[in-house]
Amino acid sequence: MKLFKRIAVALALGSALTMGATQAQDIKIGYNADMSGTAVAELGLAGRWGFEAAIEDINKKGGLLGRKVVAVIRDDLGTPPKSIQNMTELIDNEKVVGVVGPANSGNALAWLHLPQAAKIPVVGAIGTATEITTRYAKEPQNYMFRVSMVDREQVALLAAYAVKASKNKKIAIIADSTGYGQAGIKDAVEVLDLHGIKPVLVEKFGPKDTDITSQLTKIKNAGADAVIIYAIADGAANVVKSMEKINYNPITLGTWGNLSTLYFRMTGPKLAPNLIIAASTTEDTNERTKALGERVRKNFPTMTTFVCAAQAYDAVTLLAAAITKAGTTDGAKVAAALEDLSNVQGIIKTYNKPFTKTKHEGLGVDDFYLAKWTEAGNIVRFQDDIFKSITAADLKR
Amino acid sequence: MVAILQAVFSGLALGGIYALVALGFSITHTTTKTFNFGQGEFLAVGTLIGVSAVLLLAGKDITEALQVSDVTPFRYAMGLIASVVVLGLLGVLLYYTAVRPFVRFVGMAWVMSTIGFGIIIQNTALAIWGPTPIVLPSPLGDEVIRIGGAGIVPQEILVLVASILMMFCMDYVLRKTRFGKAVRAVAHSRNAATLMGINVSAIVVLAFVVSSSLAGLAGMLVAPITTASVFMGLTIALKAFSAAIVGGLNNPRGCMLGGFLLGLLEALVGLWQAELREISIFLLIIVVLALKPEGLLGQRQVEKV
Amino acid sequence: MPGQSNKAHLLGLALIAAVIILLPLSTTNGFYLKVMFLIGVNYLAASGLNVLVGVTGQKSLGHAGLFAVGAYAVALLTTRAGWNPWVAFAASGVISGVFGAIIAIPALRVKGPALAMVTIAFGIVIEKIVSEWQDVFGGQAGIYGVVPPSLFGGVRLGPKEWVWFVGFLAILAHLAIRALVNGKYGRAFRAVNTAEVAAESVGVSVYRFKVLAFVVSAVTCGLAGALIAQQNQYISSDFITFGLSIFFLLIVLFGGSSIYGPLLGALVLTLLDAFLARWPHLQHFTYGALLLFALYVMPDGLSGMVRNTSRKLFPAWFAPAALARETSAWRLRADEVAAADLPLLKTENLYKAYGGVIPTNHVSISIKSGHIHSLIGPNGAGKTTLLNILSGVTEPDSGTVEFNGRSIAGLPANKICSLGLARTFQNLKLFSNMTVLENVQVGLHSRLKAGMLSYLLSMPRARHEEVSTYRESLQILELLGLKDKAHELAGSLPYGLQRRLEIARALATHPRLLLLDEPAAGLNPQETQELIQVISQIRDLGITILLIEHHMDLVMAISDHVIVLDYGEKIAEGTPSEVQNNPRVIAAYLGVDDDLDDLENSAPESLHDKPAGGSHVQ
Repeated sequence: MKLFKRIAVALALGSALTMGATQAQDIKIGYNADMSGTAVAELGLAGRWGFEAAIEDINKKGGLLGRKVVAVIRDDLGTPPKSIQNMTELIDNEKVVGVVGPANSGNALAWLHLPQAAKIPVVGAIGTATEITTRYAKEPQNYMFRVSMVDREQVALLAAYAVKASKNKKIAIIADSTGYGQAGIKDAVEVLDLHGIKPVLVEKFGPKDTDITSQLTKIKNAGADAVIIYAIADGAANVVKSMEKINYNPITLGTWGNLSTLYFRMTGPKLAPNLIIAASTTEDTNERTKALGERVRKNFPTMTTFVCAAQAYDAVTLLAAAITKAGTTDGAKVAAALEDLSNVQGIIKTYNKPFTKTKHEGLGVDDFYLAKWTEAGNIVRFQDDIFKSITAADLKR
Repeated sequence: MVAILQAVFSGLALGGIYALVALGFSITHTTTKTFNFGQGEFLAVGTLIGVSAVLLLAGKDITEALQVSDVTPFRYAMGLIASVVVLGLLGVLLYYTAVRPFVRFVGMAWVMSTIGFGIIIQNTALAIWGPTPIVLPSPLGDEVIRIGGAGIVPQEILVLVASILMMFCMDYVLRKTRFGKAVRAVAHSRNAATLMGINVSAIVVLAFVVSSSLAGLAGMLVAPITTASVFMGLTIALKAFSAAIVGGLNNPRGCMLGGFLLGLLEALVGLWQAELREISIFLLIIVVLALKPEGLLGQRQVEKV
Repeated sequence: MPGQSNKAHLLGLALIAAVIILLPLSTTNGFYLKVMFLIGVNYLAASGLNVLVGVTGQKSLGHAGLFAVGAYAVALLTTRAGWNPWVAFAASGVISGVFGAIIAIPALRVKGPALAMVTIAFGIVIEKIVSEWQDVFGGQAGIYGVVPPSLFGGVRLGPKEWVWFVGFLAILAHLAIRALVNGKYGRAFRAVNTAEVAAESVGVSVYRFKVLAFVVSAVTCGLAGALIAQQNQYISSDFITFGLSIFFLLIVLFGGSSIYGPLLGALVLTLLDAFLARWPHLQHFTYGALLLFALYVMPDGLSGMVRNTSRKLFPAWFAPAALARETSAWRLRADEVAAADLPLLKTENLYKAYGGVIPTNHVSISIKSGHIHSLIGPNGAGKTTLLNILSGVTEPDSGTVEFNGRSIAGLPANKICSLGLARTFQNLKLFSNMTVLENVQVGLHSRLKAGMLSYLLSMPRARHEEVSTYRESLQILELLGLKDKAHELAGSLPYGLQRRLEIARALATHPRLLLLDEPAAGLNPQETQELIQVISQIRDLGITILLIEHHMDLVMAISDHVIVLDYGEKIAEGTPSEVQNNPRVIAAYLGVDDDLDDLENSAPESLHDKPAGGSHVQ
């Protein structure tokens, strides 16, 4: 035990010393997400490599404000206590100027108050819970920003399509029992309400359940011809497979998590195309996405969800642009600068005024489209007549 | 009605998995009064090894994805054997590093050490395979078979058949063969068994080999249904442990009963109210143990005063 | 234990208090302060859990559930019911204690893996309730806006103040638990841990003490949960996992069962978790390796290793206090001695059957105070069963038992003991991990009056009682010639002395009637002679004795009255000589040549040799 204690102390001392050495010149940006704990770990990992790629590129161009940018990576294991601890470490110990993260929305909700109080801007790249950027919207300065497919906007698109496509206007929602599913149900019910529709049933299932036939049977018996699934890849895949088991084929819509190749592999080529998915970008969208995809795959060969890497890359890009514009790393000034950016070239798109005083979401429903998996395992845009008939007015949120 | 039938099918399939892993707990407990608290991690690692074996046999890298055509019955069987064999060896290692040094100690030292062993192999697996779940298509295909209106996939039938077969085998070996008698003798009293010329060490090591192999078998059977990942074993192991205790930890038949019972209960309660599933199972466990601490088929250990 | 260790303890405590006060002042790094806070919280949870797991031996894998109870109690009370945060904090401790009692109830009846299962199930049920019952508990979205306690004038606690607050609580917890564990309660917990049946037989209510241990552990874990909820101002079901239960248990096991175990465990494991976080793989490996090898290298945890090394380096610190020189011999109080020659114990038609086996078949016996009675019979005659019925270990199917004017059939063993009936065991049931002195002190348990509060707060009453317990135990040991072994471990004594120790322990319960179950088993002839002396001494103190024996010379030498059982029935009774010559008795022993020879050989000479025996025969 003495040996272990010695090692621990030595490591702590060593890191303290190196910290001291780097602190003087470098700019540190933190990444706090789950990379090994829960089902979203693969998203967190994809985000990490996108994050690091962006920092590499910044340093190649000479860094920020003439200083080197250092990536400080922390794995939060998907649990709030660890996420909170990481945040405290990043802010107080590592003295980062900004943070990208988390992957689990629940973790953000747990530590929001820390960067807000410390005036450190956070640009989320994965966690989609609407509340993350809205909780402090009324404060003089809200430090929470996001470049991701925020739930509210995704639901707006999915609901608009469902309302138009459903013949009997009986729409059901089925979600996993995690915080993600919970929040999604709330958003979906509210958005459908704006269309004047009450969901005919709202069902829940455990994220690891493989047999969801009982809930689906209830939905089938209620006569719903459109179903919105709020779950990530494996959960949604199990829902789709269970639908097949009970011979139930409604219009099925799902969220961006199903862009993961895990979904495709689990459902298999035959069933995969059954799901209509909300998407913002895919690996083959343009040259930049292709390049980033290959780059990330070098470090993470089993990457499943490219969109997270792209979003993390853009999060860093926007943060860097704001720092450059503000001319300083002071949190308040950077946050203000974030709200006033123009013409920043990202992987997903070119950002023009992505954030304003009242809107802290870098991506909105206008950036989203519908997609489907093909039997060959590619993602293609899905643009049937119904989709084409959706107008801005339909995208109620 | 159809829904109930559906629930019964999936409940029995899952129950078979619990029963197999529960057997593993039982075997080591009867012979050494310990069990492997890292059994869940063993299950996961064994499955990943099996899946990688299939990938290698299909000429692919272990980080690639498996297509349905890659998983032939032969390759699947080879993967299963690989899983079972590697885990068996791991079980030997477990016994010598984490269990044997502590068997003489009163208390729970072996709990800590088997947990530690599990953490180490889980972390190693994480470093090799990463956290992403890996899909293992079933060697029997994915066509839904309809029986009485309820859908069941061939893999679930395979799980059921394999686990019941395995259990009959074990039951037979334990009750009818000389070897089985030797195991039961060791379970009763190590000293008496040694005096009768039974090689107690060999039997104990074998118990751990069998226990770990069962985990590997269970994992490979369930992976086509749930996907293989580093974290797949934790809830299965916990429920299998509960099944063993409720059925009677020292009684193999009790473990089997417990496993199936738990699987069925889970599915049926899930039919009624999905959220109450785990709560009702574990509440029931508390009630059963409060009334019959030795488990449903267990035998009361009377302390001689 | 009295004396020098108290001074050392105070010194250590002052040192730690100084560190707690000064350390937060030395840094402004919020992360370091957070880690200090976490160490305190983990220590708090582990300190109570140690009482349950380390001292009382009840292994629980479900204490995350109690952490949850405390956290959600304070969250709901401050956010939904608007309670004052200080009051809510205290209330969360109380509520957790109640839940601790709740989980204790099913846990009382089960041991080993079944106990682990019950606690696991409890932890999971709580975890699922707080994550599924979202209307009340908020599920994974959680409850935020939990109100933390604030100082006068609404000043919020900053990171430093939290460290001081938790440090203050930790010291309080330490003092209270230490006081509890060092006195009568601690001995009782350890007795329950080592030998439940024996503990029950010397008056320790195993039931009460298990519940108490659960409640203590629940209170500290609940308060730890409340602290986390209030410091984060947020709690969600993601905080409550099976892994948390394991973590608490590991702190206790890794730290060791001594009172300092939780401190060392919490310190090391929290630091490991916090400072290796930047290298997750290294952190996990270190954690795993620690768990795998630590207990092998340090069987009694980190604190055990520290103690052993200190013992080698500073042997003077650990020398046990010199034994007080006792001049007065031990005797019972006047009101504890029964008047001689009255019927003390009477059974009527006692019946007990186990399926087809009837060890007690309508047995009626009468024991007169002041005499030595023996119960003999071939093996399997039902002697020990009768003893078990009398002492409350077994319940009779029918029939009555009257002791000292009270009906005692069906009463729990610890109650019967407090009424004045004590026993020893055929298969020794000493508290082998405790010292000889402590074994006797446990015997005195039911005669001690000071309550738990008295011990927790180290009030004079409790302290006086400890001193008198110490003195009286020495007297009893002196009586039985064991005084010089007082500080040795009971399990390390030679067999004959262990048997004597069990008698000493039974005497400590101030019995009117002492049941001895084969006290001479395994003794050599010389030891048997010594035993005869001892039994006579006990009789002279005014204690009535009923002994089961196979050693016929012992029986015939000292008994005033002999009862013979065969196949569960009483077949004869009377003076030793009457019984010896009883043809039914001889027939019962037929085929068991040794006993028959003993019977014949021990006849005339012993009678003449022992005037005591002769004068008592009527």
